[in-house]
Amino acid sequence: MINSLLLFRTVLSTVVMAAVLFSPPSALAQETENSCLQCHESQPGRLGEPVTLWRTSIHADNGIACHSCHGGDPALMSMEAMDPDRGFLGVPVETDIPDFCGRCHVGVREDYLKSAHGRALGKGGPQCVTCHGNHRVMKASPALINPQDCSRCHEYGRAGEIKGAVEETDRLIGVLEGDLAALHRAGIATREMEGELFSLRNSFHRLFHSVEVERVRAETARVRDDLEKIRHKVEQIQQTLFVRKVGGGIVVGLLVVAGLLAAFIRRTYHEEEA
Amino acid sequence: MGVKTKIVDFLDVRLGIRDILEQNLTKYLLPRNINVWYTLGAVLLTLFAIQFATGILLLIYYIPNTADAFASVQEIMNEVPFGWLIRTVHAVGANIIVLALLLHMLSVLFMASYKRPRELTWVAGFLILLLSLGMCLTGYLLPWSQLSFWATTVATESSSEIPLVGDAVVRFLRGGAMVGQPTLGRFFALHVMGFPLVFGPLVLFHLFCVRRAGVSRPPFGEDYRPSEPLPVFRHEEHPEGIPFFPNYMAKDAAVIAFFLALLFAIVFFAPGLFFPPAAFDPADPFVTPAGIKPEWYFLWAYQTLKVFPSEFLGLAVQGGMVTFLLFLPFIDRFRERRPAKRPVFVTCYVLGILLFVGLSIWGHYS
Repeated sequence: MINSLLLFRTVLSTVVMAAVLFSPPSALAQETENSCLQCHESQPGRLGEPVTLWRTSIHADNGIACHSCHGGDPALMSMEAMDPDRGFLGVPVETDIPDFCGRCHVGVREDYLKSAHGRALGKGGPQCVTCHGNHRVMKASPALINPQDCSRCHEYGRAGEIKGAVEETDRLIGVLEGDLAALHRAGIATREMEGELFSLRNSFHRLFHSVEVERVRAETARVRDDLEKIRHKVEQIQQTLFVRKVGGGIVVGLLVVAGLLAAFIRRTYHEEEA
Repeated sequence: MGVKTKIVDFLDVRLGIRDILEQNLTKYLLPRNINVWYTLGAVLLTLFAIQFATGILLLIYYIPNTADAFASVQEIMNEVPFGWLIRTVHAVGANIIVLALLLHMLSVLFMASYKRPRELTWVAGFLILLLSLGMCLTGYLLPWSQLSFWATTVATESSSEIPLVGDAVVRFLRGGAMVGQPTLGRFFALHVMGFPLVFGPLVLFHLFCVRRAGVSRPPFGEDYRPSEPLPVFRHEEHPEGIPFFPNYMAKDAAVIAFFLALLFAIVFFAPGLFFPPAAFDPADPFVTPAGIKPEWYFLWAYQTLKVFPSEFLGLAVQGGMVTFLLFLPFIDRFRERRPAKRPVFVTCYVLGILLFVGLSIWGHYS
């Protein structure tokens, strides 16, 4: 009787252990990436390279994935994911690149097409990927205006003037973005200011693409005025937070003093008790 | 005759207030070698009172609705006078409470104060710890942020690994297939009413047990000897002890002040310590933020689920550990309380702490 019970327990524990050990893996460990990344990442050469490049791009930082530009259906794990009927666009020809990128960057496309750069499209002039790269798309910043890149096509002179006009304003935008992110992390409602800054930054970066020195100077002055208004609001909030910290320092200090005082009183009783 | 004396006289005639105060304060004697770890009960009572008060204030403005919850918390943080302070104290206070609860439990374990005749005190205390963790978990969802939504999704999802009833348990916890309005509704009800209704009587019962059985003598010193098990109830007296008031209450006050200093230091100087970036964005069921992790006190459990080949095994181990701790006084029936004479227990104790810390660090960086 005891042996049968022992056998039953052994079989039962084996079954339970087997069920546990061979059950599906943890949901936490499952990757939720799309089929574009899953198929292309493992491929050699030009088919796999875009994934590596994309991972370090501004697009990846902002959650813009392959299908956002190239279309298709990233939920399908087959070649049908790249079916033109599913909106797949593939690689655009050079003259189509401004329209390809301009589906999202509408204002930039507009200013670019009116500029000397845009007018030279298809005649050796630069298009989006010439300066920003493809797949490893770089964030729009004055750093992209530099002698090495601009001198590939023309003299750096005017480009340098534009860079000089926008550099300080772009730095201020960067500082304000950092300040707002810090305030956001402190629970401050920054959405409205972030929206204003985002809009200003976009119109400012759009401006570079006109490549007109006088216009860039004039518009930059307007952008700076608006940035100063945001900076003023940010500084007011930072001042409030500073006052809170001073108040907090006093509260914490008083509590520590109260604790030390109580500990000292306890010590006097301790001496009495001895 | 002063007003104070008149009031005390009035109460004394009707309620015998002087006798009550004497019996529970000045004539309530504690062991002479009582140490600082015994103050954690008073610290916890203070912190619970703060949670209760700040929780009621938050209830005035908080809206338990998925469409408005995040915005109402934003309003509390940005528009309501001192709302930022009340909400931050409530959120940070929950973490400090868990820290104090763990220290309290570890000190009771080390000094074996859970042993006969204090088994019920331990069981009530351990249930208070579990309920506190339950309140932390339910409170986590209420701000309806990305962190709230996804942490609750992961936490409730792990129940699906329970054989046979797993999916039903998940649906029961969430009130549907996904975390949504029914989940927020039931977590809110549990957080502000369900759990506190059980929690309050449990705390009272715990205090009653402590007062009724008497404070246990710390198992240290050359003259300490384990007491014989008593066949009948007897309150543990300490005739040579020190009065609770004012002598020991001064130590209580000191430790309470230091804990409050820690709480407010975090509130004012490091309010983001317990808030990852996902805590500041509204819940979005269609965007999974990277690196969602549970609170530090659940990291050990989170990592345990990942260490084992299946989540069910991880859940079973966690359940086993919790059950073992809950019933420890009925399992460990040896009379000896001195740590130096309990090498096996102390070894397990140290290894247990290292395992908790190790799994938590691993979970944080995994």
